[in-house]
Amino acid sequence: MRKNKMLTVFAVFVFGFLILPLIIITITAFGKGSAITFPIESFSVKWFVKVFTIKSFRISFLTSLEIAMLATVIALLVGIPAAYALARSGLKGKGLIKSVFLSPTIVPGIVIGFVLYQFLVLSLRVPVFIGLLAGHFMVTLPYVIRVVGSSLEQFDFSTEEAAWSLGCGKIRAFFKVVLPNITSGISAAFMLAFINSFNNIPVSMFLSGPGVSTFPANLMNYIEYNYDPTVSAVSVLLMAVTVLMMVIVDKTLGIAALAK
Amino acid sequence: MAYMTLKDIDVRYDKKKQVLKGLDLEVKEGELVSLLGPSGCGKTTTLRVVAGFIEPESGVFSLDGEDLTKVPVHKRNFGIVFQSYALFPHLSVYDNVAFGLKMRKLDKGQIEQKVKNILEICGLSEFEKRFPQQMSGGQRQRVALARALVIEPKLLLLDEPLSNLDAKLRINMRMEIKRIQKKLGITTLFVTHDQEECFSISDKVAVMNQGVIEQFDTPENIYQRPKTEFVARFIGFENFLSLKKEGNVYKTEAGAVFTVETVKDGDFVAGTIRPEDIRIAGEKEDHNVLSGTVGVRTFLGKSYQYEVLTAEGKFLVSRPAEEVYEEGSTIRLYLPESKLILVNK
Amino acid sequence: MKKRSAFVMIIPGLVILAVCLFLPLLRVLIPSLHTGEYPLSAYVTFFQDEYYRKIFVRTVKVACLTTGFCMVLGVPTAYFISRCSKKWRGILLSVSIFPMMTNSVIRSFAWINILGSNGLINRLLITAGIVEKPLKLLYTDFAIIIGSVYLFLPLMIVTVAGVMENIGDDMMEAALSLGADRIRAFMKVIFPMSLPGIIVGGILVFTGTLTAYTTPQLLGGNKNMVLSTFIYQRAMTVGDWDGAAVISLIMIVVTLAVIKGFNSLAARLDKRGGDHA
Repeated sequence: MRKNKMLTVFAVFVFGFLILPLIIITITAFGKGSAITFPIESFSVKWFVKVFTIKSFRISFLTSLEIAMLATVIALLVGIPAAYALARSGLKGKGLIKSVFLSPTIVPGIVIGFVLYQFLVLSLRVPVFIGLLAGHFMVTLPYVIRVVGSSLEQFDFSTEEAAWSLGCGKIRAFFKVVLPNITSGISAAFMLAFINSFNNIPVSMFLSGPGVSTFPANLMNYIEYNYDPTVSAVSVLLMAVTVLMMVIVDKTLGIAALAK
Repeated sequence: MAYMTLKDIDVRYDKKKQVLKGLDLEVKEGELVSLLGPSGCGKTTTLRVVAGFIEPESGVFSLDGEDLTKVPVHKRNFGIVFQSYALFPHLSVYDNVAFGLKMRKLDKGQIEQKVKNILEICGLSEFEKRFPQQMSGGQRQRVALARALVIEPKLLLLDEPLSNLDAKLRINMRMEIKRIQKKLGITTLFVTHDQEECFSISDKVAVMNQGVIEQFDTPENIYQRPKTEFVARFIGFENFLSLKKEGNVYKTEAGAVFTVETVKDGDFVAGTIRPEDIRIAGEKEDHNVLSGTVGVRTFLGKSYQYEVLTAEGKFLVSRPAEEVYEEGSTIRLYLPESKLILVNK
Repeated sequence: MKKRSAFVMIIPGLVILAVCLFLPLLRVLIPSLHTGEYPLSAYVTFFQDEYYRKIFVRTVKVACLTTGFCMVLGVPTAYFISRCSKKWRGILLSVSIFPMMTNSVIRSFAWINILGSNGLINRLLITAGIVEKPLKLLYTDFAIIIGSVYLFLPLMIVTVAGVMENIGDDMMEAALSLGADRIRAFMKVIFPMSLPGIIVGGILVFTGTLTAYTTPQLLGGNKNMVLSTFIYQRAMTVGDWDGAAVISLIMIVVTLAVIKGFNSLAARLDKRGGDHA
């Protein structure tokens, strides 16, 4: 097919718009001056060093990892059986149950944080950490239901029946036949849920307390009171991790796994 | 007088692989011409050059004396039926067929009249409100044909239009296409890899191989007088022997002498013959004879088919069921000069 | 599968959702319907207050414009991606996904660097002698919109490209062969065929922008609040918990209305496609 020049120019413009701001951040991270300048006047990596000296970054980074990991694992433990039951059983009102499982997506994150803080933390005196975990569970669960659900839709359940007929019990058949065939869906769900939980801010806004604060919230806080290349350096580090992760995903699941 | 002409067309993909090599083709007005060949021979590429989806690297495509090589697709006014039909799923049958007329900004009354008329011709009148996904393969095929024809195209291009239909429907549809094509008198290019389909429908056939047309002729001539070994093999010849011209006769490497009715240019050629045309040599035949050993015998109802191993390779021979030869026995095959066809190697 | 075992698999999720989402929502938001002199009076008061109304209108305006810009920029780009070779499709898809995987704080921070009074644009303008004093670009509605477009454009591109990938080249070719030029072929065939994906993308972008917190907070500042930043401000700074509950419910209702609206729009457009012109 003959290529359309106008469309190509348009697409180049759009991709430039998407990428240039991140390139600018990357360059400013290597500036020497204490104000962010572009283009930079002299080269330095001191802001990268500074990132690791900020204690609140270190602590909140670990908190975020912990929360994202726990929320994702719980969502997988709860979500995979639910997705399986929704795909496999003839339950009445399957559509309704599925939309209940996906309903956290239509409640704004800030509202989830707000009601959890009021109800769990203030009324029921649940520790803030648990409240934060509950909030992030709401972020992760829909990804598990959607992505694992769609890979179960493509699964040929007659192979499970074949396993039964060969003398494999139902629970064993699930672990031996079903699970191995939806691992790519589970991995994709894991990545998406984890990343979105780690990056989430609105849910965490209310759910913070002494010693409990997520990394992006901390970063946002830092930006509001400081304007130096430290944030650029943090951004570069995070982007490097993102690139690494995307390369791994691309080699294993294919990059389209993250487009769900 | 040629209506459509392709002259010295070169097409390369990704600047490397050459798909069409100096292809020439001339089609007369009102003719149905098939492009026949195995996959990868360039037949679809040729059709896409004509359609305007591919701009050739060099060469000229002209229609009715007008050079159209650089005219964009939407200004060519050709009707195309795609292999997948490419019906618009969001439009009803009526709107699919009306699409081209709307692009030409005809008024509503005219559009309606033309659409109803073509739907009638294609036997689709009762389906105009349906959507493509609500129709069977054969019906979709007709819609695709109606949509291509309603714009009164200067050329109709069909890209393996029958390949998605089952065998019975395919035979009905090809007669249908021929009927409509003759009725409207529209010049047509038809791409296919199915020789039976192609022979039954075409006025002329272009057999293609590796980006060139090997033979362009009537179906009858191609069937009876293939010009090259490739064409012969493609239309079903399986028995071949290498021959070298020596004076008025041809000889195999082993020295067996063959005479033929038709002469062929070139010293080195191949002889070919259909299994049912081979006879068993009598005492008096001293040329056009090959001896061999009977191999596998297959019963085909009216006849037996034998694999006979000769010095020139394996020959398939078909003999009436009454005549039986045992496996392992030696026989002499007679290849009558009127049936032995010489082709270029 | 037996009903009982299906229940056993579904129940844990439902219980957590009930305790950690539905119950808190009901307990916190329902009372807001009854505060004040008459039912819903808190909501009436909200919309009577000019300042509150302004925030509401700003939020909806930002979401509408962002969705519009994302469609205008995203749909042709998605089409471009879907027509590329497999290799390029992978590359361009990665380039679109990468920002999605990058934290929204970073993506908003990028625009602080560009729009700030000492930022890229102002420095360019001053160096070029076009303006003398830096323009106020940051902490404006404009900044929120451009930041939101930047935030959600990849989502639109990826969603729509996913649908367009399944539309064969033959659709475009058929339209061209019938006399449509490229732009009309796109508008009459490719666009209506990808409408389901565009609608899904529209819903994601609209509700995403409507409920986004980071971008309006960082690029809008305290003077250009939107509903989500306003909730936080009411609750944490002013201590008006009832007010925050009112805003929460308004946000949920608007989100649901928008989803419903988009879906019925999709249904209407689909039917129109089937009409005889």
